[in-house]
This record gives sequence, C-alpha cells and structure tokens, in this order.
Amino acid sequence: MSNRFVEQGLRSPVNLTWEVTLACNLRCRHCLSSSAEPAANELSTAEALALVEEMYQEGVFQINFGGGEPFMRPDFMQIIDACHNRGIMTCISTNGTLFTPELVESLSRTDMMAIQVSLDGATKETCEAIRGKGTYDTAIKALELLAVSPIATSINTVLTTDNAHEIQGLQDLANQLGVTLRISRFRPAGRGADNWEELRPTASQLLTFSEWLAENENIRTGDSFFSLTSQERQGLGLNLCGAAKLTCCVSPTGLVYPCAFLQSDRFEAGDLRKKNFKEIWDNSEIFESLRGLRIHSCEDCKRFDQCHGGCPAVAYYLKDDIAGGDPECLERCVTSIVDETETAA
Amino acid sequence: MASAGFTKMAAAGIKLHPACRVRQEGFGLLFYDLRGPRLLFAETGSLLAPEYFESIRSKDDLPAGLTEQQTNVLKKFIVKLLERGFLREQ
Repeated sequence: MSNRFVEQGLRSPVNLTWEVTLACNLRCRHCLSSSAEPAANELSTAEALALVEEMYQEGVFQINFGGGEPFMRPDFMQIIDACHNRGIMTCISTNGTLFTPELVESLSRTDMMAIQVSLDGATKETCEAIRGKGTYDTAIKALELLAVSPIATSINTVLTTDNAHEIQGLQDLANQLGVTLRISRFRPAGRGADNWEELRPTASQLLTFSEWLAENENIRTGDSFFSLTSQERQGLGLNLCGAAKLTCCVSPTGLVYPCAFLQSDRFEAGDLRKKNFKEIWDNSEIFESLRGLRIHSCEDCKRFDQCHGGCPAVAYYLKDDIAGGDPECLERCVTSIVDETETAA
Repeated sequence: MASAGFTKMAAAGIKLHPACRVRQEGFGLLFYDLRGPRLLFAETGSLLAPEYFESIRSKDDLPAGLTEQQTNVLKKFIVKLLERGFLREQ
C-alpha cells in the first residue's frame, strides 16, 4: 500500500460501503448499526439508482452493500443490477435468511459479485448466542446454496470473546463447505456499543488471533485488523485507516460518513439529498480532517509504520479521542498482558 | 486490431482481467482487483489512459510518440501487471 498516493487524495473512493436499509429480521448483539426497522425516509429507488449512476461517473470500483439485511429492501436486485450494468463490482453482506435456490440462480447471472454470509460461530450454540435462534442453520443453508454457484462466497465472522476459540473451527467449516472465511473486527458502534464489554475479545484472544492470522494468509479480514497485523501479513493489505481516503459510507437515508463505524452527527460529511457525492467527497471538512489525521501519540511506537495508529473509530468510542490511538492495537495488547502478568506476580 | 494512435507490433494479446478495474488518478493509474481486494498505484502520469486496457492488444502495442525510455518503462510495467494478475493474456 502506498500511503503517499492515498494521502495526496484520490479523485473518489475505491469502494463505498452502502447500508441500503436498516430493516433487518435479526437482532444480532454486535450489530454496528442497531438494525431492526427500516429508517424513516430511506432513499427511494430512483434516488438509489441515481447514486449508482454517480458512483459510475466518479469511477468507484466497488460497492459493499450492507444494512440491515439488504435483501429486505424490495428493490435491492434492481440496485445491484444497475451496478453491474455499469461495471461496478459488488459485495453483499447478508444474514442469509432470505436465500432460496431461485435467488441464488438469479444472483449467479453476473461474475461481478461476491457474497458474505454472516456466521458468528462454528457451533450452533455460539452462533445463536450472538445472532439469535435459528440463525446457524439458515446461514449454513445459504452457504450450501452459494457454494455450488459461481458466486465468490465467504463466511463473515465478527471476532468476539465468545467465538474467538472457534476461529479454526470456522476455517474448517469454510473449507468443508467450499467457501472462504473472512473475519471482521468487533467495534463499539450501534448495538455493539451496548454489548461491548460482554463481547469484546480479550487482549490475550487478540494476540492469539494475530498469531493465527499470521499463519493463515488466505484468511480475509477486510483490512479491519491492520492494527493487529503481524510482520507475516505485511503487504497483504492496508497499513492505515482508509476512511475518507479510500472508502466512505452511505447511510440508508443518503447521509455520507467516513466509515460504517463513524455514523454519528459529529462525523456526517454531507447529505446526498442536498449535495452531490463529488462535492461531499472533495469538500467535506470532516473528510479533510480525517485525511490529515496524525496519531502523534503512536509515532514513537516501533509498529507505527505497520498501523499508523490503528482504527480512529475505536479510539473515538473508547477514549473519546479520534486521534488517541487504537486501544486494541497489537502493541497495546502485548503491554496489557505484560501489565496483567506483573500485577499477578 | 490496434486503436487509432497506437502502433501495433506482433505479440500475444493482453487485456484487463475481468476481476480488475483501472482508473485515472493525478499520479497515474489506479488498479483494483476484486479478488484480494488489492490495489496497485502506478505512477504513469498521463502516459497510458485507462482505456488502453479495455480491448485486447499486443503487449508491445504502446501509444505513439513515447521516448525510448518511456517505452521501456511501460513495457516492463505491462509485464509486471501480467505477473500480478491485473492483466491476462488471451
């Protein structure tokens, strides 16, 4: 990753996270957006299609759809078809509950799409404790349907203290199903903030996970663990936060934020109903401030070049300081464990 | 068939991989590969337009008017893109 090019500013995001609806038929405890009912005044079909057109004009390569459960939106297929017709690649995060053979067949018409099915445990007990009753079997059924289709499919697992011991089991399950495994970082946003203390992985679990990741280079992380990246994974992905530099997030009502984890009034960069995307990307003060953000407290760290201070969203939520440095970075996990050991001694 | 403004020379045909995209940035070309996903930042300035990669063309089919040094740099760059899977031979 060349930080020099990223920091001088790209003409538009490389990819966009678009939460197309807040509607969801599940109530997962770690949900970053507290999804449940649709938001009031979500973008209409015409507005959504206009946004796809604008993303095409701006050269955005990929749109990552999430929510909510994107397939709860009646016009979702129309939106993704519009993306593919314009050559925009898509990645869909879904809970898999609405998948049928007919839906998979319909989705298989393109080779421009990847699908991530959420599964938060290798066992039914662990998964359903986080995602709710019946979610394990429905996700497995969706994965089985997708595995025999040409669609690039992965299991998406959010690492929590409850499932940290099942990560290898999830990898084995993915191999058995013929899909890949992607592991995402749990962050204290949305319902995840309410359940943060219960679900956050311990420093020891994060260190173990970092070591496991180093041995399993084929595991995708969506770059969400760059603050834990070991030397072995350097060069495989980002070494800095890409919010407002490489990516940004659009809410169901058309508000633009630096990333999916910073969706609050303080971080609102603009409203697509009032300004076009280009204007927001080029001129938003909050985007400018994130592009210029320097985590000075981390600059003396020996790992600074590997993470540049980590995730500003986690620093903001846990320290109320977006420039405060990621409290869950590899170096701080090591320090935390050393402190615990010394206290115990 | 070579596009207008390009000099065609005999070689295997190359094209952008279907899982990849490219666009113009201030520094040059930005490549994206969905399969990683991964990015490649190429400091090519305006020597090569993104459209160059849209049709099948010879590896040696470069824009006219380049200096010898620029031609050599771009030839090496295209080999690198092939090796890294952003382009594929057809």
